[in-house]
Amino acid sequence: MISILSTTPISPVHPVTNVVPLSLVLLVSLIKEAFEDWKRFQNDMSINNAHVDVLQGKNWESTPWKRLQVGDIVRIKQDCYFPADLLFLSSTNPDGVCYIETANLDGETNLKIRKALEKTWDYILPEKASEFKGEIQCEQPNNSLYTFTGNLIMDKQIIPLSPNQVLLRGCSLRNTEYIVGIVIFTGHETKVMMNSMNVPSKRSTLEKKLDKLILALFATLFTMCVIGAIGSGVFINEKYFYLGLRGHVENQFNPKNKFVVAILTMFTLITLYSTIIPISLYVSIEMIKFIQCTQFINNDLRMYHAESNTPALARTSNLNEELGQVEYIFSDKTGTLTRNLMEFFKCSIGGEIYGTGITEIEKGGAERAGTWIDGDEGKRSTAAIHEKGFNFDDARIMRGAWRNEPNPEDCKEFFRCLALCHTVLPEGEETPEKMSYQAASPDEAALVAAAKNFGFFFYRRTPTTVIVRESHVERMGSIQDVAYEILNVLEFNSTRKRQSVVCRFPNGRLILYCKGADNVIYERLSEGNHDMKKTSREHLEQFGSAGLRTLCLAYRDLSREQYESWNEKFIQAKSSLRDRDKKLDEVAELIEKDLILIGCTAIEDKLQEGVPACIETLSAAGIKIWVLTGDKMETAINIAYACSLINNDMKQFIISSETDAIREVEDRGDPVEIARVTKDSVKQSLKNPTLRVDLLGLSLICHSVVCCRVSPLQKAQVASLVKKGARKITLSIGDGANDVSMIQAAHVGIGISGQEGMQAVMASDFAIAQFRYLTDLLLVHGRWSYLRLCKVITYFFYKNLTFTLTQFWFTFQTGFSGQRFYDDWFQSLYNVIFTALPVIIVGLFDKDVSASLSKKYPQLYQEGIRNSFFKWRVLAVWAFFAFYQSIVFYYFTAAASQNGHGSSGRILGLWDVSTMAFTCVVVTVNLRLLMACNSITRWHYFSVAGSITAWFLFIFIYSAIMTSFDRQENVYFVIYVLMSTFFFYLTLLLVPIIALFGDFLYLSIQRWLYPYDYQVIQEMHKDDPHEYNTIQLPEISHLSPEEERSFQISMLPRETSKHTGFAFDSPGYESFFASQQGVGVPHKPWDVARRASMKRQQPQRTGRP
Amino acid sequence: MQVISVFLLVGIIFVPIGLVSLMASRKVVEVVDRYDDACVPDNMTDKLAYIQNSTIPKTCTRTLKVPKDMNSPIFVYYQLDNFYQNHRRYVKSRSDTQLRDANKANDTSTCDPEGMINGTAIVPCGLIAWSIFNDTYAFVHNSKTLTVNKSDISWKSDREHKFGSNVFPKNFQKGALIGGKALDPNLPLSKQEDLIVWMRTAALPTFRKLYGRILVDLKQNDTITVTLENNYNTYSFGGKKKLVLSTSTWLGGKNDFLGLAYLTVGALCFFLAFTFTLLYLIKPRKLGDSNYLSWNRSPAGR
Repeated sequence: MISILSTTPISPVHPVTNVVPLSLVLLVSLIKEAFEDWKRFQNDMSINNAHVDVLQGKNWESTPWKRLQVGDIVRIKQDCYFPADLLFLSSTNPDGVCYIETANLDGETNLKIRKALEKTWDYILPEKASEFKGEIQCEQPNNSLYTFTGNLIMDKQIIPLSPNQVLLRGCSLRNTEYIVGIVIFTGHETKVMMNSMNVPSKRSTLEKKLDKLILALFATLFTMCVIGAIGSGVFINEKYFYLGLRGHVENQFNPKNKFVVAILTMFTLITLYSTIIPISLYVSIEMIKFIQCTQFINNDLRMYHAESNTPALARTSNLNEELGQVEYIFSDKTGTLTRNLMEFFKCSIGGEIYGTGITEIEKGGAERAGTWIDGDEGKRSTAAIHEKGFNFDDARIMRGAWRNEPNPEDCKEFFRCLALCHTVLPEGEETPEKMSYQAASPDEAALVAAAKNFGFFFYRRTPTTVIVRESHVERMGSIQDVAYEILNVLEFNSTRKRQSVVCRFPNGRLILYCKGADNVIYERLSEGNHDMKKTSREHLEQFGSAGLRTLCLAYRDLSREQYESWNEKFIQAKSSLRDRDKKLDEVAELIEKDLILIGCTAIEDKLQEGVPACIETLSAAGIKIWVLTGDKMETAINIAYACSLINNDMKQFIISSETDAIREVEDRGDPVEIARVTKDSVKQSLKNPTLRVDLLGLSLICHSVVCCRVSPLQKAQVASLVKKGARKITLSIGDGANDVSMIQAAHVGIGISGQEGMQAVMASDFAIAQFRYLTDLLLVHGRWSYLRLCKVITYFFYKNLTFTLTQFWFTFQTGFSGQRFYDDWFQSLYNVIFTALPVIIVGLFDKDVSASLSKKYPQLYQEGIRNSFFKWRVLAVWAFFAFYQSIVFYYFTAAASQNGHGSSGRILGLWDVSTMAFTCVVVTVNLRLLMACNSITRWHYFSVAGSITAWFLFIFIYSAIMTSFDRQENVYFVIYVLMSTFFFYLTLLLVPIIALFGDFLYLSIQRWLYPYDYQVIQEMHKDDPHEYNTIQLPEISHLSPEEERSFQISMLPRETSKHTGFAFDSPGYESFFASQQGVGVPHKPWDVARRASMKRQQPQRTGRP
Repeated sequence: MQVISVFLLVGIIFVPIGLVSLMASRKVVEVVDRYDDACVPDNMTDKLAYIQNSTIPKTCTRTLKVPKDMNSPIFVYYQLDNFYQNHRRYVKSRSDTQLRDANKANDTSTCDPEGMINGTAIVPCGLIAWSIFNDTYAFVHNSKTLTVNKSDISWKSDREHKFGSNVFPKNFQKGALIGGKALDPNLPLSKQEDLIVWMRTAALPTFRKLYGRILVDLKQNDTITVTLENNYNTYSFGGKKKLVLSTSTWLGGKNDFLGLAYLTVGALCFFLAFTFTLLYLIKPRKLGDSNYLSWNRSPAGR
């Protein structure tokens, strides 16, 4: 807008003044966008032009993807990506199955089975496929990846379609030679594209506040313009004959119409003062943030997880500084605090507990109670089997010993249930040692692995059968392969919380195996056998309090009639078009009843490394951590204890639905307390607004809160409750699909790139490999980003205000005519060249205290939470000094025009004065930056000196040339004229020092009497530069994970009996690493190269205190 | 303490500079004489009518007394007040190309309203040139005329590059309104130094312009008679006119301001250094005292 104004004659400035910076700013962002677009375009091109075989007549013709139309019959070969959403017709595999990898959709690397309809199995050859005739009815395109309803009408027969027959775009074909399919959705209608549309964009609160600041600046601009405009109306008068105001005068200076003069001058002044709005600020900030992300966060070795070879990843560059202001962290438990490395740990069969391990949580509990439990490694039988997913030892049931137990039948059912009731895919050679299991959740894999170790080795799955190699009871020691026919699978989902299979034994016995959450299973148990239920219940609680994840196993024998009649309903439900899921659930209810409890399993969910230390640090930093988990209350509390979220000094309140209790607690107003909000109260509270306030008010005074039994939606509601209700900055961290809504609801979403797939990471703003890296991310990077951006913004604010105010003072002495003080090019290059680089350098390199000190004094983080550096008060101080400095600049230099300077007695003109003033401004503003930054590196010097030099170079060249453009030769030779006088040098020395005098005084008084925390810490550690090195050494040692690993392993046996901590001496640690080394992917060459390059960068970044 | 040493350092540097520049400024002898009111005959109450009436003789005689010895060169300035040479309409009303290049005489688009007269271009065009100052001064000392050397009063760069040596005044001051001095049409613009000086517009509404130099030493208490032609109209806008005689030093004319500023800052620095030292002694804060950490100051933590 201002640029347009500046092209009109009322403008005091040449259009170039506004156009140049604006276009430079636009250019930079354009280049950035164009670069991204270009990459995207190339990507698109390569995708669009990828070829796929389409059936044309009776031949396969290679056609580009972009020509694909709905209804085309296509052939996809192995390892190719599906070009569109396809209906799966047939495959080269005999039973119409194919295997797909969905890593692009959800990051899960396990193979999934898709099965074609039996009807269409034959359409595999082009001749046959060309005869395919049918009609597909399906739902409208939608973004749900896991549902699909539709029908295939073939030969007047309606065949229901399920997600099982749909191959989604973005997946790839594996282990199958080729498949034939029909295109059902293409392009933007594909599910993956529908999903990619709605990415919620987040803006940081700092930026929102920045908008307010910009508004304030606009207000200032407007006020200044109004003052100037009124002045111009009053000033303009015919008596100034030298202005030639008699006769015909253009409107802007026509003294006969002062109102018009004022209005027009107003616009003039807007263009003149437009420099007060820092246009380049946004671009600078974007640049700074971008570099912060890509260079610092993504490359930080301290957040590099060597074992999984995952560095931290900033997926958006918008929220860096938000990380420095987080006050509430909402954390998922599973996979976030814990490793989500499930290990089968204990079980209870028929009312008998098996398994001798002691969990870390129990150790932690014992420690709290004051007793020490010896590490169990030493006592374990040396023959105990360690492998992925299995950490169980009990001689009573291992190696077939279960036959001698009092309840061998129960045991057998238990193991069969484990071996049959799952959706796991076996992979690798069909021997117990080399087989690995692909499962959607690690729990399942752990359970199947357990079955294997108990002698029920599941090794092959066909679409209809599961083959288990059993060490059978009846025939001692012999091994028998048994094929169980799987008739139906009632799949697991979060509402059902259970999973069942109906299978037929080779002897014709029909049985339903079910496993699920305890409350769900208990509701559906048949009458009788109370003792067993009761003891199992006790065991469940015992397992829960040990921090174990429990599942109940049950079975039910079915008669043929029962099954047949039910199966009919099931098929009906399966083929319904509408509400298929709901109907399926209803049908499942019909058969999942009168179950007989077999027992329950307990799986240990290990804490991630360094979680307690991280949580302690974070709470010391004043961050309140809420754990939101779907687990039972006991489990949740125990995990909370184990990871030092709660300790014995804290008062605890368990809040369930009663509101009175809440009130009571609130009245007490004790600041140190823990509240646990159970499911019911949350549910109610979220529904009821008054309760919501109560809950919020209560929770906000708690140090930490644990919410149990919350669903994914409730997680998001809790997050937005705090976000909106308390107006604090929130951060959500989670790893699973169930955390996605929470991650999106909070200000900052962090995904753990862990075991549960990539959905959380895809939805997140930052991805880290381990919870403990949160310390680095928040306390180091977040804090620095926040400090830097605050500095950048306030500094931008200051330098533009200073610059514009000098112009404003000049206006008063030009009869409010809007004459510009500075040359066009000075003004336009001020922000772009003369003062641009140093502030970016500060935005990148400034740090108050080193990374290790940031972590050593987590309390420093509170400055970010309180937003100490971007308060209006801080801005007011800057504004005050901008005001002061501008006065100094203007009046000190303007005074120079009064006399002759130098022995020649000649007088300096307007442009001499303005050039002098501008020189002073550039020098001062750049020096002021040096005063503002905490750590001065050579980059700072370089950029500041560079900017000042740039100015002098520019003016030397600029004033030496004459151009033929439409430009007044105002500044011709000015600098040389100036430099021929002593006065210039004296002024150049005097003005910046006087200008900075005030700031200096303020800063020293502030530092002396009211030091910021970081300043004190700087002082404390001023004399120990060595400390940086020593602290960083262990971090650098990350570089050789192999060595570290072997070191750790070698240390294990000797230290075991002394430790009760949990980071490195946990029972499964050795085996964990052993398996990692055996199974782990070898590091790729580029990876080594990259780490080497990181190594080189490391000292550069950290070596400068 | 860093702060104290910085203050001391600044003080140590600034005070001598201040003293030197103040001394330089004090050495300058300056005679200022305001003559706009005094040169209007007593019987003329309407000053504007007086100045606009070309029939009334404008000659006026002033007597100046030299307060101190003045060594050559003595600079003669005129000082105008309330004259907005920096007004936007004024500043842009010139054509640099026209001034520089004889072939670009018609380049008067920026010169409005003094660009053309009767369809032909004015050289030099524009309000600035048009309103050129036209009072003249003649100095007599002891009945001996003091010649005013009017050469080299403009900046060399202006003379050589901005005003062409082959550009001659044309149609200048031919309009109905005469703004100021008429220029000799036979002298190229690069030789019209009064014009060049005038056209280096001043930054502030109060400004001095160099008129010429007197290359004669004057003694204390000498009296100089100035015969001036009071032609220039400052009466319409109430501006003052002053005649200034001044000597010069390495620093330039009389300018106590700079020296005083240096001295003040220097003194202030000493004072602050002193205060901080006192503060340091009275209320010492141990560097890096962890008691100052906010979480240590208030035990509750916030």
